[in-house]
Amino acid sequence: MRMEHWWYTLPLRLKSILLGRRAERELDEELQFHLEHKIAEGIANGLSPKEARYAAMRAMDGLEQRKEEIRDTRRIHWLTDFLDDARYAIRSLRRTAGLTAFVVMTLALGIGMTSGTFSMVDALIFRPYPVPHPSGVVTLVSTTHDSSFDNFSYREYLDIRGNTDSYDGVIANAEMEAVGFATEPKATPRVKGGMMVSGNYFRVLGVEPRLGRGFREDEDQVPGRDAVVVLGPAFWEHEFASDPGVVGRQIRLNGTNFTVIGVAPETFPGMLIFGHPDFYVPLAMARVFSTSLQKKFFEDRDDRELNVKARLKPRTNLQQAQNELTVLAKNFEREYPQVNRSRGAAVRTQFEMRTRDDDGNWKFGVIFVILALAVLLVACTNVAGLLLSRARARTREIAVRLAIGAGRFRLVRLLLAESLILAVLGGFAGIAIGYGVVAWFHSFETVVFNSDLPLAIPFQMDTRVLAATLALSAVSTLLCGLAPALQSTRVDLVNGLKSADVDMPGRKRLWGRNMLVVAQVSMSLMLLTASFLMVRGFQRTLQLGTDFAKDHLLMTSFDPRLMQYNPAQTHQFYNLLAERAREMPGVKSVALTENVPLGGDFHGVLFVPDGFQMPRDRENFNSIMDTADEGYFETMGIPILRGRGFLASDTADTPRVAVVNEQFAKHYWPGSDVVGKYIRLESRDGTPVEIVGVAKTIKYLSTFDKPMDFVYMPLTQNPIARMVLMLRSNADPLQLVPSVKEVVRTLDANMPMMQTRAYEDLYLNQAVKGPAIAVKLVGAMGAVGLLLAIAGLYGLVAYNVSRRTREIGIRIAIGAASSDVLRLVMGKGLVLVGMGTIIGLTMGFAIERLMNSMLFNAGGVDILAYLVIVPSLFLVTMLAAYVPARRASRISPTQALRYE
Amino acid sequence: MLLSETDMSKPNDLVQGTLDLLLLKILALEPLHGWAISLRLKSISGDVLQVSEGSLYPALHKLEQEGWITAEWKQTENNRRAKFYSLTRLGKRQLESEAANWLRLSTAISQVIQISEA
Repeated sequence: MRMEHWWYTLPLRLKSILLGRRAERELDEELQFHLEHKIAEGIANGLSPKEARYAAMRAMDGLEQRKEEIRDTRRIHWLTDFLDDARYAIRSLRRTAGLTAFVVMTLALGIGMTSGTFSMVDALIFRPYPVPHPSGVVTLVSTTHDSSFDNFSYREYLDIRGNTDSYDGVIANAEMEAVGFATEPKATPRVKGGMMVSGNYFRVLGVEPRLGRGFREDEDQVPGRDAVVVLGPAFWEHEFASDPGVVGRQIRLNGTNFTVIGVAPETFPGMLIFGHPDFYVPLAMARVFSTSLQKKFFEDRDDRELNVKARLKPRTNLQQAQNELTVLAKNFEREYPQVNRSRGAAVRTQFEMRTRDDDGNWKFGVIFVILALAVLLVACTNVAGLLLSRARARTREIAVRLAIGAGRFRLVRLLLAESLILAVLGGFAGIAIGYGVVAWFHSFETVVFNSDLPLAIPFQMDTRVLAATLALSAVSTLLCGLAPALQSTRVDLVNGLKSADVDMPGRKRLWGRNMLVVAQVSMSLMLLTASFLMVRGFQRTLQLGTDFAKDHLLMTSFDPRLMQYNPAQTHQFYNLLAERAREMPGVKSVALTENVPLGGDFHGVLFVPDGFQMPRDRENFNSIMDTADEGYFETMGIPILRGRGFLASDTADTPRVAVVNEQFAKHYWPGSDVVGKYIRLESRDGTPVEIVGVAKTIKYLSTFDKPMDFVYMPLTQNPIARMVLMLRSNADPLQLVPSVKEVVRTLDANMPMMQTRAYEDLYLNQAVKGPAIAVKLVGAMGAVGLLLAIAGLYGLVAYNVSRRTREIGIRIAIGAASSDVLRLVMGKGLVLVGMGTIIGLTMGFAIERLMNSMLFNAGGVDILAYLVIVPSLFLVTMLAAYVPARRASRISPTQALRYE
Repeated sequence: MLLSETDMSKPNDLVQGTLDLLLLKILALEPLHGWAISLRLKSISGDVLQVSEGSLYPALHKLEQEGWITAEWKQTENNRRAKFYSLTRLGKRQLESEAANWLRLSTAISQVIQISEA
């Protein structure tokens, strides 16, 4: 019944909305038709045409009233009223086009900056996994003293899978890694990003392949048996031109033939934030891919390389799952005390994984959004101030409307329609600016990622961001428009009608405007503080430098596993490579290292310092480490402060040695010489390693590092497959590239060289250009915030002065000097700016603490920042107050008294 | 003589909702335009039921918006364009239920009246 009702009435409503004029015409015609017949009837009854017409009209009981009654039956007056409001609002906004444009731009800047930065937070934190029912997917992590987000080993994964009851499937994946890809055996492999996943990966996630099939469970059971691969959607499109016949084809990954069994759908670019794996292979094929050389992937319980996720059963809650996993972790600890001492496990939601403490990206995002919201708030107070002064100038109009019976609600609606239109325009312009901000982020793709892997900046204006933006516009409408609308409709009718412009007695009104001034000053002070601190922090880290030589260095990476080298072949390859590179003309020195400073993903090492009193609850300590050869310290210009670096005489057959950094030495053996001391790997009974030298502490992970412990191991004693060759040259390092290529060709023509570039280039991207993006963004926000605040402040103060013109005139007339007037007006401004400064300082301290704890790892207050910012902001705002104040002081009393 | 001119009684003489019922009933017989409906109203009900022409059109438009009748522009026999109203399926159902209601009500009322007379 209801449905059928709508079936008939909906088209009518639509018709009355869309074809309002036609409906009017038809109504006229219908009534006209009636009247004509009625008149004809009257004449037939003997009346004169005039009388007949008169009688017909009378019979209608008032034609216009009837029409109105009929219009009411269309039940769309809420809409037509609104359209009327909107039309009226547009007309009155167009009368002040300049002001309108300013307001729209102001709002657009605030909204656009917020939506652009929110796209960042959205991608980093809120965007759900691209799978059906993403909220049911949780991550299981191993926890230790040092990490709350550790991985599990293959063995542990199998145990979790077999002994838990809370999940509809437990899946595992290794990190996305570089894999040599070729379509035929002869071709030189190219580096692509592959990911090892468990056989149930696609099934448990609920991802239906777009072509072919996903893995079968049995394809992930026998190590090395099933060489099958599922392609990622983008990879399929680019490498195979979306060929539907790709299923069943053979491709070569790291020199082994794999059969393509399926293609993942477009909707599933992968579970990572930044990376989009080119293809997926079963965990059972781990032999072909890079797993730790020192450990056995399928056997060692401490070879923790797997990220484990699970899908919660529908009626299981997190707590139950957590309890179950805790019991399991206790069992692990009891059964395998060697590798699981003081190791727990936890269930983490997607949100918890995304907002992990040890990741800085999302923190940047959050700080940016906070700052952008401050810009928006400044913009809103600006708009509110403008609307307020506009509405005040319309006091008489509003009073007249109220006097002839308009409801207050109706008037508030009318005034809100104005701010709604402003917000809609500002919202759309803001979305355009948001797109611009996102595009700007994307332009840094190559700066941010120096990798051959398929990584991309994931920020987009998706529906969530757009919805948030529109919601923001709506909220800003209310913020900007409601207060002025409510205030200006609370008019004292008698006074309002008498004068065009009368202040209510009492201070309420002024209080509102003063609040706006205070809010603007404090917001812009906070913004300035943030951008100033960002710039200063950045400069400071650059000045501190990295403590190693960055210039004249060429780097290029190799991974002999891509060519299926065994460890002996790998050893041989690197030996020959370093030897021949050293003989190249123009080369001063050569080094091999697992990772370069500021450009790598350093591994950790577990150790016990000999003779160190271990805390009772700790089995060992953890430090980041690098594996390097004997040329490393010289080539990188890292000074050895005590003892020695690595020597050619440190071989696999001699006692194990290590070099530690100064920070490490101070940390574990404060005040004594560490050369000659021992650390033991993994546990008290582990392999002893002698510390033979102390290297200077440099920056390892980023230029924002605080000093951290670091250990170097020699390549001969700690073989690694993927290494970086570093060459120090006399001239432009890139000139060495052809000769390096030639050397590599003589060793193995098919060996891919990856990430060949000048090290300084990497350094610039990582340490200068990357952070510069953040600095520019925050700087822009500070500048925009300050500009808006100045404009708004000027407007408000000027308006306040103009409101007091008559009063000032009287004061001058009874003998006040213009300096008195200046003092009066400025004094008021000073108080407001002072209040704003105090509040702004408080917020500035808060944001400084936030930024220090999140980004710069620096404590204390940057006094200089405040010494610069506070007086300059004070000066600027005082100037904004001075100009109108001066104008006021020059008013001639006769003119002022005649004012209005 | 025209009723509405000699006698100024208003449609609120009609029981609430009765006009709707009358209009639905008239249109159930055949599609008509407004003028014809007003003539029909008079001729059917004689002088008893008086409907002001002024309230006819709002009533028609209300019925249309309810979805009970639908309007269509057609040529009259004099070759003029006029808006013809006709009953919809929904309107037929409405007419049935309202007519039933009316019968029930009027029977009850006349019974009450007869009791008091007796």
